[in-house]
Amino acid sequence: MATLDQKSPNVLLQSLCCRITGKSEAEVAHQFQYAVRVIGSNYAPTIERDEFLVSEKIKKELLKQRREADAALFSELHRKLQTQSVLKHRWSVLYLLLSLSEDPRKPSPRVGNYGALFAQALPRDAHSTPFYCTRPQSLALGYADRAAGLSGSVGTSGISSLGVYSLNGPTPTPQSLLAGQPPQSAAAQPLGSRLAWALPINSSPSSALAPPTARPPLGPAVPSPKMIRPRRDGDATGEVSEAALVRDILYVFQGIDGKFIKMSAQENCYKMDSKVVLCKSLRDTSSRLAELGWLHNKVRKYTDARSLDRAFGLVGQSFCASLHQELKEYYRLLSVLHSQLQVEDDQGVNVGGESSLTLRRLLVWMYDPKVRLKTLAALVDYCQGRKGGELASAVHAYGKTGDPQMRALVQHILSLVSHPILNFLYRWIYDGELEDTYHEFFVASDPNVKTDRLWHDKYSLRKSMIPSFITMDQARKVLLIGKSINFLHQVCHDRTPPGKITPASKSADTPKDAAELLSDLEGAFQEKIDAAYFDTSKYLLDVLNRNYLLLEHLQAMRRYLLLGQGDFIRHLMDLLKPELVRPATTLYQHNLTGILETAVRATNAQFDNAEILKRLDVRLLEVSPGDTGWDVFSLDYHVDGPIATVFTRECMGHYLRVFNFLWRAKRMEYTLTDIWKGQMCNAKLLKTMPELSGVLHQCHILAAEMVHFIHQMQYYITFEVLECSWDELWNKVQQAQDLDHIIAAHDVFLDTIISRCLLDNNSRSLLNQLRTIFDQIIEFQSAQDSLYRSALEELSLRLQYEERKKQREEEGQWGVTAEQEAEEKKRIQDFQETIPKMHSQLRILTHFYQSIVQQFLVLLMTSSDESLRFLSFRLDFNEHYRAREPRLRASLGATRGRRLSNI
Amino acid sequence: MASAANANLNAVRETMDVLLEISRLLNTGLDMESLSICVRLCEQGINPEALSSVIKELRKASDSLKTSENCTN
Repeated sequence: MATLDQKSPNVLLQSLCCRITGKSEAEVAHQFQYAVRVIGSNYAPTIERDEFLVSEKIKKELLKQRREADAALFSELHRKLQTQSVLKHRWSVLYLLLSLSEDPRKPSPRVGNYGALFAQALPRDAHSTPFYCTRPQSLALGYADRAAGLSGSVGTSGISSLGVYSLNGPTPTPQSLLAGQPPQSAAAQPLGSRLAWALPINSSPSSALAPPTARPPLGPAVPSPKMIRPRRDGDATGEVSEAALVRDILYVFQGIDGKFIKMSAQENCYKMDSKVVLCKSLRDTSSRLAELGWLHNKVRKYTDARSLDRAFGLVGQSFCASLHQELKEYYRLLSVLHSQLQVEDDQGVNVGGESSLTLRRLLVWMYDPKVRLKTLAALVDYCQGRKGGELASAVHAYGKTGDPQMRALVQHILSLVSHPILNFLYRWIYDGELEDTYHEFFVASDPNVKTDRLWHDKYSLRKSMIPSFITMDQARKVLLIGKSINFLHQVCHDRTPPGKITPASKSADTPKDAAELLSDLEGAFQEKIDAAYFDTSKYLLDVLNRNYLLLEHLQAMRRYLLLGQGDFIRHLMDLLKPELVRPATTLYQHNLTGILETAVRATNAQFDNAEILKRLDVRLLEVSPGDTGWDVFSLDYHVDGPIATVFTRECMGHYLRVFNFLWRAKRMEYTLTDIWKGQMCNAKLLKTMPELSGVLHQCHILAAEMVHFIHQMQYYITFEVLECSWDELWNKVQQAQDLDHIIAAHDVFLDTIISRCLLDNNSRSLLNQLRTIFDQIIEFQSAQDSLYRSALEELSLRLQYEERKKQREEEGQWGVTAEQEAEEKKRIQDFQETIPKMHSQLRILTHFYQSIVQQFLVLLMTSSDESLRFLSFRLDFNEHYRAREPRLRASLGATRGRRLSNI
Repeated sequence: MASAANANLNAVRETMDVLLEISRLLNTGLDMESLSICVRLCEQGINPEALSSVIKELRKASDSLKTSENCTN
């Protein structure tokens, strides 16, 4: 006790409390808390820190009480005190003693004195000082006082007016109190908490000791007409006081009709009761303020209608939640205003004072909330009828504003709204799962599509649901990533967990993460998508190439269906020839399959992958009457499983058509080879028949013409069509980043081949000409065959005749009888008579063939494809046809002219 | 060292005596223990104005029941 040790003030205070009230520590807990608050609030002393002045005051006080002797004694004691150096704050102690001094002559001076003391010592205006204003009656601790004062005393609060402006800022939200409901049942409430309630909670660090739970819950104040005190109302005939208007406005803010300001159903706005007498400025101000109520109602209606609607979806729900958040802040502000009003009511004074709520003050304070509400209402209007990604786009569109406050507000809402979308997105690109019950995400899945069409048809983009902050390119990548994962799982039966394909970064767990991502759409977000896209696609291509030999299959298509493997095709044709000349109806698939296998075993094809050879098969097309085997034979290649995604049914159809065309062209080459062989073999034999030389020469010329034509055609098909396209395809496939690239390249490849091989609709006439030419070649073959047959027959007969003649002569007989000679002559004459017939038949053939080739050339000349024009140039290199066909000369110039005019 | 501490203790006691006398003159109603607590609080720089208001309120709270205790001085 005697030593001035540094015990903490709290401990000292507690012992002081115990000492003065004479109770145990537990019993004085409330008083102690109160004491800590008052001391802790630690307002600067309003008195001068001067020991001399304090001592003078004390003397004056004593003199006032007519105790001159005591005053002298005090001077003596004070001097003694000054000689001691123990105390550092003598003035403080003296001042304390002075404050506590009592005039012994007055019997019970306490209450009145204190009131006066406090009234002058402490500033009253809660707005102009951060310190709490303690009013004596609110601190009624005495049991007697409490019993009496409870009903009259009302909890008061200092409103930090700053809170009005910092509602949505980073500063702690203002502690608003619901002053509209004084604790009538205060007897049940702890005494200390009532005190705590009356003090601003953040006024000092030690205030943390106060129990924070005793506050009434925040929320919209319950309107109670009783609160409007009659003295403020004014009557309907007289002028309405501003305070009453303020009270009305506060209700209107919450969308509740006030006494004078009511919702007008026809005009859809809040209107002042026309009977109320009011000056114009007040009327204007209040109608301007009443707009807030209308805005509030609008937002409220939207959220109320939507928040229970399940089908509105997650995005919609988070939009409603964000609107609710904003409304909550708004309500908080309203309750602060309400409690302020309550304080004024309780004080019952200075209605027009500078601290009171006025309409004008409200107008200023409510400016920011009004702008926010306006933005929200506009947003609500704009988002009407939208959901999912569309809603996010709508909100995003509103974020493009120059007003930083509005932008921040919209950004905040957007981060909440986009959070579910980003969640969908991460689930999709990292797990391939689509959990989109309400169709809000921009990837749609069609459950009816089977796995064989999974890649092509199952998943699609919902264009309308792509949020505007995600580019089309990103959306496509997102679609592709998830599709690849699903493809791997369902079609390739690859059981690699998605986490191994691409290291999943953490998903957007909180709206804050979403906000961060949104702010960095070009950077982190794009990077994430790109990384996932790259990893997943690469993995998918690896699986397809490694496990499903995609590239090998591609090469096999070229080698077998596009006749790339020359030795195999040639051998196959050799083996098939006897079969294929027969009518199509007599062909059997198993025979042909056997031949195919023989051909494979005999050629380099045998070294191919068994996986590929297994798929090679023979297919017979539909037989129409009169068809030979050549017309219906076709090679086939079976595709199934994942590679069928690249080699779809349509693709295989195209391959089949191209194969048929190539097979036919190949057959022509083969036929012409036969023709040439025949010519070479028979030329020597038939030399003995000079009458045939003209016909044979004609045959040779025509055959040469045909060989030239077919060679050029084959050159064109092989090098300009197949090889060029294949090279392009192979390059693209090597560079492909995802399966779609391969599919696209393959489709382009097939399309090019189809159109260059004259198989598309545009070149139908050309193809018909070509077919006729092919037919002419076949016809020529048969014509020449019959020619050779009859010539050879005649030759053999002649040889027989000569033989017999020789034999007879050796026997010593006459070589020939006149009868025989005449017969021989007649036969020879007969044969020679057939020669002009053959001649003319060949001439007709030649003429017909040449005219068709000329027409073909004319068509080629006018074709838009450059490579076809080059083909025509090569076909008519020595201008043989040009010399005969005036149209060729003209058309060359004409096409040039036309092309020029087109440019 | 001991003598210095002793002298200090004496000075403190003397000061407290003087203060108690002043307190009595001014009729503050503080006993020795309360007074010493108050002095120590003041020495720690606590605002005397606030302290006095606290004491008054505390007294008021216990006033009606325990008048006798306050009047021991």
